[in-house]
Amino acid sequence: MISKKDHFTPKARQEGLVVQELADEVLVYDNKRFKAHCLNQTAALVWQHCDGKTSTKDIALALEKKSGSSVSEEVVWLALSQLGKSHLLTGRVIPPAGGAGISRREVIRRVGIAAAVGLPVVTSIVAPKAAQAANCLPSGSSCTSSVQCCSNLCNTNVCA
Amino acid sequence: MVRFEGVAWAEAISIRSYGVRIGLRTDKIGALKEFVQVLPPAWKPLRSQVVDRMYSILVGGNGAGRTRGKPNFVYADGKPVSRTPELHQAVDSFESDLQLFVAEMSPHRLFVHAGVVALGGKAVVIPGRSFSGKSTLTRELVRAGATYYSDEYAVLDTKGYVHHYARPLSIRENGYLEKPKKYKVEAFGGRAGARPLPVGLVVVSKYKPGAKWRPRQLSAGEGALELIANTVSARREPEKVLSTLNQVVASATVLKGLRGDASQVVNFILDRLGR
Repeated sequence: MISKKDHFTPKARQEGLVVQELADEVLVYDNKRFKAHCLNQTAALVWQHCDGKTSTKDIALALEKKSGSSVSEEVVWLALSQLGKSHLLTGRVIPPAGGAGISRREVIRRVGIAAAVGLPVVTSIVAPKAAQAANCLPSGSSCTSSVQCCSNLCNTNVCA
Repeated sequence: MVRFEGVAWAEAISIRSYGVRIGLRTDKIGALKEFVQVLPPAWKPLRSQVVDRMYSILVGGNGAGRTRGKPNFVYADGKPVSRTPELHQAVDSFESDLQLFVAEMSPHRLFVHAGVVALGGKAVVIPGRSFSGKSTLTRELVRAGATYYSDEYAVLDTKGYVHHYARPLSIRENGYLEKPKKYKVEAFGGRAGARPLPVGLVVVSKYKPGAKWRPRQLSAGEGALELIANTVSARREPEKVLSTLNQVVASATVLKGLRGDASQVVNFILDRLGR
């Protein structure tokens, strides 16, 4: 749901995701895109509050309550930007009026370097196919690409 | 898919390896033993004929005599795995394919491409794909007194404990084009371990000539991503992957960095976990 900036209520995506909570972080696996994401504590807290009913302002307040220190709404928008790019939200994330986007550098500039430690981070990888996560194929083996072969050459579907 | 009408199978065996049932048959008497030698560690014979995958080997020649020039064929469930002029190449491709199949399909274990040794009652896991230097690092740790568990896979149970996968170490001594040579762990003055162990340390390193080992510690989540990147069944069973790796990173320290000579890392690990 999108209306005015103050009433933007982001919603976390549920479908096609596998979620594993760690002590301070959250791992999310996207079955549709074969990607694994690690949300640090701040990103995880923001994502967990994205219920489609809580505004960005209230998410910031929730973070303040959890951390015991002041949290700017820009931090929430930075998290939403990263979560949106990682396809972990439903719908588009539209930044506040007048902003082309929220960059990490800009937020650090505004909140100060000391507060940068608590900034949201979403780290992502593409999960390997089974063959990619294994040893290379010896000569004579069937192949579909050169990267599969120990020789680095797949010639007419056979490793050289 | 190939149908083997008219083929008279001379020898056959059914086995179970890490919960996966495998059938193997050849059309030439005496050939089976070559393939049995490369079965995964801890395999057991199976009485049942019902298997998860059937390997069919059509034995050709070894470049001499009447069978000179006749290729060797390896099929997995009727689909071609390899076609080679030399039998040892057929054995290699069979080993490679079987190993990957067991690693991906094992119902109760999670296979992470990694070297594993034990020190001080804890496992040291060195994840990495081919040419990352993990076998070299594993070998040097064994030479320094660590107990050998594997140079191929960290085999994890649902509690995050590592089981052994103790096949001979494969070492490429002269670059990636050379076929790796296999060495028993005793050749390095080492011994193989058998007891399942919790993971104490995960070392994510990539060899770069001249690099100095200055690792940074990763968070549990970042460490899990490094392990996922080397997990064979990551796409097939993500729930099991995340759950198992959560057990590992909950108690293990995960370090990442470039390394030059393996001795830097070996000394670092020995100092950390005790000699």
